Amino acid sequence: MCALKLLRCSHYQRLLLPSVSPLSVPRRSVTPSEYRRPGQPQDKRRPWQKVNFNFSKGVEGIKKHFTLLKKEVTDPFIGPEGRPLREHMLEQNRVLWEFKGPQDLEQWTVSCDQEIGGHSEVHLKMSRNNSTCFLYGTLSSVPPKDGETRYSGYCTMRSKKPQALFDRKKHHDWTTFNTLYLRVRGDGRPWMINIAAETYFSHQKDDIYNYFLYTRGGPYWQDVKIPFSKFFLTHRGRVQDDQHPLWLDKVNSIGFTLGDKVNGPFQLEIDYIGVCIDYAHTEEFAYELYKRNPEV
Amino acid sequence: MIRCLSPVTRGCAAAVSVQLRSGFHGSPASAKSRPVPTHFNNEDKEKDWSPASRDDLFEQVARETKTKATFNKVIEVFTRQDVRRRGHVEFIYAALKKMPEFGVERDLSVYNKLLDVFPKEVFVPRNFIQRMFNHYPRQQECGVQVLEQMENYGIMPNVETKVLLVQTFGDKSHPIRKYQRIMYWFPKFKNINPFPVPEQLPEDPVDLARLSLTRIANDLDAQVTVYQLPCTDVTESGEEVVVPHIVGIQSPSQMELLEKHSVDRPVFVEGPFPLWLKRKCVHYYILRAEPLPPELKTEEPYDPERCLDYPLQLDLDLDLDCDLGDDQSFDVEDLDEGPVFAMCMTSQGDQFTLNQWISGLQQNNPVLGRVPTLFRLDSSPRELQKTDHTRSDHKQEPSFGTEGEEEPAEEPEVLKDEEPRRSRGMKQ
Repeated sequence: MCALKLLRCSHYQRLLLPSVSPLSVPRRSVTPSEYRRPGQPQDKRRPWQKVNFNFSKGVEGIKKHFTLLKKEVTDPFIGPEGRPLREHMLEQNRVLWEFKGPQDLEQWTVSCDQEIGGHSEVHLKMSRNNSTCFLYGTLSSVPPKDGETRYSGYCTMRSKKPQALFDRKKHHDWTTFNTLYLRVRGDGRPWMINIAAETYFSHQKDDIYNYFLYTRGGPYWQDVKIPFSKFFLTHRGRVQDDQHPLWLDKVNSIGFTLGDKVNGPFQLEIDYIGVCIDYAHTEEFAYELYKRNPEV
Repeated sequence: MIRCLSPVTRGCAAAVSVQLRSGFHGSPASAKSRPVPTHFNNEDKEKDWSPASRDDLFEQVARETKTKATFNKVIEVFTRQDVRRRGHVEFIYAALKKMPEFGVERDLSVYNKLLDVFPKEVFVPRNFIQRMFNHYPRQQECGVQVLEQMENYGIMPNVETKVLLVQTFGDKSHPIRKYQRIMYWFPKFKNINPFPVPEQLPEDPVDLARLSLTRIANDLDAQVTVYQLPCTDVTESGEEVVVPHIVGIQSPSQMELLEKHSVDRPVFVEGPFPLWLKRKCVHYYILRAEPLPPELKTEEPYDPERCLDYPLQLDLDLDLDCDLGDDQSFDVEDLDEGPVFAMCMTSQGDQFTLNQWISGLQQNNPVLGRVPTLFRLDSSPRELQKTDHTRSDHKQEPSFGTEGEEEPAEEPEVLKDEEPRRSRGMKQ
């Protein structure tokens, strides 16, 4: 009788196991590492085995760094950031990225959910008029069949981090500006603008400030002004309770993400990206700071 | 584990569960045919513990129809079968997965009904230790999952949801936190789209075209014209001919631009270009011209009487050159892509249909009869066609040869149509 009870107990235990997909919360490791797809074997190479000791790459590097060295030596004679002091102090707006030729596309990286096993596609090229960039592809939100990934479907374009001599860190300093200015032409799909700023602690490295970019569609270009005060903090795609305004003194990169869960082709043309001062805009942060959102 | 499938292999998983159960309960396994899903008998359900049966419950119903009513029926059957709601977490996960199949993934009442499956007051922490630690984590996770799916489909919870969550998990639990987060952020971003799309898009293609064209034209003066209504004709030989709809838009300023367009430079009909309205993709065509080469460009002085309220040109003699502080314009080259004269939408983007659009346009724009019109149609959506100033310089007369050289990759369908078109009868 007792044995039967025990058996029944174990029977229930077994039945409590999840029936549907595991729906597991992704495991968090102490040392954050690169995303590894479920089922992908671990990279067991030694650190030095990952380094590319190519001769031509070395020559390229020397060329690049000597150009940077020359720039860094001569720039202070002209003024801050290689521009005359008057211009530096009086500038009202600055064009950060424009697309005059294929060399400007080198400053950007594109990626999509193929990295996690999805089926989206994204490409970046120059437009026909050779003075704008054209981001196009197909979005597919079918999640990969690895048993763990639940959502999929994103395409993104992200600027590379600026680098100083000897691959030192360098940041964009936009403290004198308060508005992001874009000239785009889309096809009616909503995009998200991501700004990644430099952070101090390693657990903040995925902190990204986001806002939405809505496109009208049609043959006309569209000027978009987004105040930096409207950007909200997210961490790995989750909006954070504890919000902070974006600090503009050390901005690493800007990105555009599409993930509206609508499968199909998309396109976005960007003429230029700039920053400007909007004197009419005095807001510091658009979300409540005096308590956590929501209050705990 | 002995997996002996019953001879009646209708519901495979269910059959396995029945067989397994028989070993423990000692009751004779009845591998007879399952009851019809609309009337589950109680004793059958009471025994059906296995997780697979949660999916199976939906599968049985799904054989007939997948509607909201049947979905609710399944939930009802599950809630009625056991006071203790055993296996409700598995059931809810299974239900969440099946929701898109039943077409109820955007229905708030169904989500509320699903949250109602949780037994009330069992998971509410009763002392501070329980409150401190994660009380009933699997159930809370499941509740969060329901809310997350609502969030993903853009469904905002209501007060009933909150009451259910408080009754089930208590007022400081994780699902309640999730609820509060949704209720904080969703209303903030609800109306920030500056180009809103209506919740329900019109079914009628003509209405849809009208909506999309006014959206992309971005001009309140622009006038939508229905050149042709969709209908189905039967010819003498008995064939059915589907007449596509043609809806176009043109604003007075576009008409003015077209009026000024030089007769010896061609205009182009291009498309289709995609336009997304939430989940729907429509395609439009445009009538445009190449940008003028720089030597032909003339600066036209502003007509001071064009707008009396607002001066179009200000000539204040300020010495702005020495002061950067007032310079608000970006230091970029102007992008000249040529003017757009009109836009249209049609269900059938062949040249014949678009030709009808051009003939319709001729009524208001007589210059179109004299300007050569070239068709650059593409079966696949792509970017706006543009050519450089420098390359278009030497091409004054459009001909097949130069077109072919310029766009070897695209090979557009170029047809010269120079004789003035007879404007056909316009159906309004």
